[in-house]
Amino acid sequence: MPDWRKLVGEHLATLALDPQEREEVIEELAAHFDETFMDLRKRGLTEENATSRCLDEVRDWNSLRRSLQAARRKENVMSNRVTQLWLPGLLTFTLSMCLLQLTQSRPVVTREHLFILNGTVEIGRVFGHKPWILSWGHPPMAVVFIPWLFALPLVGALGAFLSHRAGGSRRAIFLSIIFPVVPFLATILLITPVILAFDRFIAHSPVPASIPVAALGLVFLPGVALLVGGLPMQLFIARRFGAGRVTS
Amino acid sequence: MIGAGTKRGTAELAILSVLEGGSLHGYEIAHKIERQTRGKLRFTLASLYPLLYRMENKGLVRGAWEVSGSGRRRRCYRLTAAGKKKLMPLRQEWSELFDALRQLAKVADA
Repeated sequence: MPDWRKLVGEHLATLALDPQEREEVIEELAAHFDETFMDLRKRGLTEENATSRCLDEVRDWNSLRRSLQAARRKENVMSNRVTQLWLPGLLTFTLSMCLLQLTQSRPVVTREHLFILNGTVEIGRVFGHKPWILSWGHPPMAVVFIPWLFALPLVGALGAFLSHRAGGSRRAIFLSIIFPVVPFLATILLITPVILAFDRFIAHSPVPASIPVAALGLVFLPGVALLVGGLPMQLFIARRFGAGRVTS
Repeated sequence: MIGAGTKRGTAELAILSVLEGGSLHGYEIAHKIERQTRGKLRFTLASLYPLLYRMENKGLVRGAWEVSGSGRRRRCYRLTAAGKKKLMPLRQEWSELFDALRQLAKVADA
């Protein structure tokens, strides 16, 4: 008998569903092929003919893949996006902004408060409460919030955990990790064309040269810090919980 | 009054009707529909599962994995309360559609 699970799995490898859901669909369709094949064999068809008749059930695998995706995702797409991306993303963004504010102000949090806040305040004490300024002439200069960068791995790890707990795909988890820098990136991308369009009317404008430097301090470095915490967490939970998942 | 979705609903009606007798897995649904309609209505795998999943999303049927006597895992579908509720008006619409078509055929013959 052909390995139907392998065949269906190969054709639906790019089915854009959660891994668990995709496995369920593949298992179900493979079971359907199994039943059809055995029934045809019982009716006296040769293995070759039965296989050929089974394969006739799907003329266009790409079309089936699209139909399955649309059918499975249509009703759930909003709630899945909310719980797997927007909720973890907005939570980590809010937390990262609070931490940024906290590291820039005089510590008012006592040891009785949350560990993450205490840790951030301690880092703030070590590195000071003013941002580090990396200057390449006058301007451009990058403003780097060192205590904030030290706190961001925890935020990234939290984003990965929350998205994974909600059943997020690898892509959703990744986006949840880097979500706190996405608004900065979007802002920079939005204002860049405007700045460049108006820049020719301003003599010796330092603004265009400041854009990549601002991206370094507000997007690239924080993004790396978020990934430093988020990616190991993603790897850890994939190893810890991935193998134990049981389809239901 | 025949609803706009009646034509599309005939496939749904076929599935809801066979599930009225109890829970079935996908292959059994297709097989039963083919047998009961003497081969006039036939679902392929490609036409059946997207429809089943849509109906599940709409809350008309519910699928759950079951293990058969031979130890094989199969996803069996059963009607939900909403599915049962939808069956009667859908039957009515289908019946009205066929009455209307019959009337048209009579006019054309006359």
